[in-house]
Amino acid sequence: MEYVGEHLWAANLGRALVAFSFIFALLSTLGYYSKGEAWKTLGRFAFRVHAVALFSLIGLLFFIMGSHYFEFDYVWKHTSLDLPSRYLFSAFWEGQEGSFLLWMFWNGVLGWILTYTAKSFEGPVVGVFAAVQAFLVSMILGVYIGDYKIGASPFILIREIPENIGLPWTQFADYLQRFPNFMDGSGLNPLLQNYWMTIHPPTLFLGFSATLVPFSYAIAALLRKDYKTWINSALIWSFFTVGILGVGILMGGAWAYEALSFGGFWAWDPVENTSLVPWLTMAAGAHLLLIQRNRGGVMPSTLFLLIITFLLVLYSTFLTRSGVLGDSSVHAFVDLGLSGQLLLYLLFFTIGAIVLYLVRYKNIPKKQGDDGMDSREFWMFIGSLVLLISGLQITLSTSYPVFNKLFGPDGLITLYTENKVLQDPIEHYNAIQVPFAIIIALLIGAGQFLTYKRTSSAAFFKRQIGTFIATIALTLFSAWALDMWNPIYFTLLLASYYAVVANVDFWVRWAKGNWNIAGSSVAHVGFGLILAGALISNANKDIISQNDTFIHEEFPANENLLVELGDTVQMGEYWVSWKDQTEEGYYVNYNLEFFEEQEGALEHSFTLSPRIQMNERMGNVAEPSTKHYLGKDVYTHVTYADLRTNEERGNEEWKNQFDLEMGVGESHFLYGKYQVRLDTLVVEAPQTNGTPDYVVLGAGLSIKTMTDSTYKIMPLYAVQGNESTHRDIEIDELGLKFSFDRINYDTNKPVIVASEHTDAEVPFIIVKAEVFPWINMLWLGSIIMAIGTVIAMIQRRKQMRA
Amino acid sequence: MKNSQIAIIIAIAVLIGYSMVRLGNSSTYSDFNSARAKAGEKTTVIGYLNLEKELVFDPESITLSFFAIDKNGNESKVLYNHPKPQDFERSEEITLTGYASDSAFVATEILMKCPSKYNEQNEVDSELIYK
Repeated sequence: MEYVGEHLWAANLGRALVAFSFIFALLSTLGYYSKGEAWKTLGRFAFRVHAVALFSLIGLLFFIMGSHYFEFDYVWKHTSLDLPSRYLFSAFWEGQEGSFLLWMFWNGVLGWILTYTAKSFEGPVVGVFAAVQAFLVSMILGVYIGDYKIGASPFILIREIPENIGLPWTQFADYLQRFPNFMDGSGLNPLLQNYWMTIHPPTLFLGFSATLVPFSYAIAALLRKDYKTWINSALIWSFFTVGILGVGILMGGAWAYEALSFGGFWAWDPVENTSLVPWLTMAAGAHLLLIQRNRGGVMPSTLFLLIITFLLVLYSTFLTRSGVLGDSSVHAFVDLGLSGQLLLYLLFFTIGAIVLYLVRYKNIPKKQGDDGMDSREFWMFIGSLVLLISGLQITLSTSYPVFNKLFGPDGLITLYTENKVLQDPIEHYNAIQVPFAIIIALLIGAGQFLTYKRTSSAAFFKRQIGTFIATIALTLFSAWALDMWNPIYFTLLLASYYAVVANVDFWVRWAKGNWNIAGSSVAHVGFGLILAGALISNANKDIISQNDTFIHEEFPANENLLVELGDTVQMGEYWVSWKDQTEEGYYVNYNLEFFEEQEGALEHSFTLSPRIQMNERMGNVAEPSTKHYLGKDVYTHVTYADLRTNEERGNEEWKNQFDLEMGVGESHFLYGKYQVRLDTLVVEAPQTNGTPDYVVLGAGLSIKTMTDSTYKIMPLYAVQGNESTHRDIEIDELGLKFSFDRINYDTNKPVIVASEHTDAEVPFIIVKAEVFPWINMLWLGSIIMAIGTVIAMIQRRKQMRA
Repeated sequence: MKNSQIAIIIAIAVLIGYSMVRLGNSSTYSDFNSARAKAGEKTTVIGYLNLEKELVFDPESITLSFFAIDKNGNESKVLYNHPKPQDFERSEEITLTGYASDSAFVATEILMKCPSKYNEQNEVDSELIYK
């Protein structure tokens, strides 16, 4: 059948490009790993063809997304007609296929650069890239072998999805014009319509992609049995990776803090953890490379770290994309059923690299003699080891769902009969990672004053007297100002300040402020500030929306507060008033006015508008609003809001209908507050020719209140033929309504229906407000660390040229 | 023995020791009965909402109270002192972290599994198309 309006050329071109890209990646691997110049030239040529095909297909996918070709499943799922074009990038990598493409894009770019810069190492280095690319492209192949699916193609049409094949609508040649469903896509998840989503994923994926460069050099070194010539190149790339990956991770934290309501920048979520771990091991590996270059003797551990970093990236990919994490993470990808393929990818490189490492192990040059405990290299080695252990701990604790799959009740080998779960993950990770952080910070500070080979201890201490005094003074002052005397926190604060002060001191006094060698000092100052900022803003976080309503002694204190419209409640030093709410696109903004007490009067200080995103696809989501001061942030978000419309809320004016059945002279209690008495029953029934025209009944009621005031009323009930009418009486002061409803013919008594007026419900929201002190130190540290890394890279490059 | 080798051995010992302690200590998923037997101790129960019994959210005290049935069919009243999660009634499965008290299970954290609206919406529904 010829379908009308489909852009089949795009589908065919896209699939051809994917296939090309796949085949040339394989060809490039083959070329690079075969002996001889001609083969190498073929490998290079094939890699570039692969990259061109890849970039073209990325361009094509952008084009069909921008042109709204909704017959494509990926376009339909991730874009819509009303999607602002600035979110096209976010939409592109919202799905697994697009984010694989983003990763491949960076691999293509870096691989291409390496075809120029890797020189004699080009063969084995770019060869690894080509092999990785072949695996990655296979994730978007979208080919079926029997029932087994290889990859999910971004160029598949909706009608080609297995679930849709043979459905009745596919019988219409003009289905695109006939059915409104295909005229607009379902759009980008509003949660991701955010500028952070535009910049965070590319940065993070560049970081992931960059870990492949040191890995490839390590593999090349093992293959070539050359443990020397590549160190400088790998060193620059390693620091590049540390910088970019670090920035990418911190951007994720900034996003979470600014735009998502996790209540902080870090939640030890599995997805966060598995991106942090490669950073830790990469930092360790980069420092070992430094030792290796300056002193030598650590080649086995260096290679191990460079290799394991990339393997951990693969493991992270497997965890977040295979569906293993299931419910334990808030932002794992939607499962595409690629877990088998992902596992193959992971195992191929893990087993390949480890076997190669073990085979060559004897051959790797090792240390002659021993490092003294007073040498810089020894302590740098210890630091790297601590980073590795820290990373492995996080990996182990994050892998519970994997252990459960392997050894749990339904696992391959059942070692335990109940699935294990990590209790209080945040507390758990903090308890273990804080001591590691203390050691690292102390080493960062002391490291600058240690020298390679051996350090004179007299000089080591003498040079640092100023640092020690300044650090201790600063720590005591901060601890006093923040009231932070918890021994663990105090130690971490001391260690972080020491890292900062020692590096500043070293650079100013001993390096004489020379920018050429500033890289490590600046980066380490940044790292120290990140630790201090993270510690202070977390440990001294103050939840000011404490609710004192006592419920039960065992019940923990509530951290949320109810605010009624127009009401003012106290939160810490602030008085908060909910003024109004405004609607803005997907959002409902709740405008909260913050007042502070000044000289007995309330002064308006600022307005925050936390909001709720009406998100039909993912459920409504709260977005925080934060007031930034230099020394603290006031962070609020709406944790509960009544989003029902008036109609949904039930617009009934009257409630608690109650039947009063009374004979004359009898009385009845009503709502526990009133006494109702039927004083008299008036009947009027005019007749014409012996048949009644109509009947009017009047119930003379007296209503007595608790305060002894009495109201006398007479609701009427009229019957004419088959129709009846009522005249109800309302007593405004009491908010009561009485209706003479009917006569109960069994008892011959009148039935009066009473009802109460509904009080107008005051709208309310529930708010959580927190103060994060000195969180700016964390962001400042992030920027400084990034700058330091760039300086270090420039500096290494100069050294390499010299 | 070299200093660095000693350091590596210490590090490995720490890691192994840690993982043994962790796996021993980590709690397992339990049910309401065993939670009651260990009242006051933190545990995790997986179950689902009993929508036939009352589910009340009191915005004044910010307390959500409801009844849940665990996977072994035991029922318990649950108290949760956080705002009611969005679409709570629609949840298929809830994971409760908390502890048992005399009168109820006090949840400190609730994770819900909802029928994925995301996927529902992404299916091209043929019935809808015919309308």
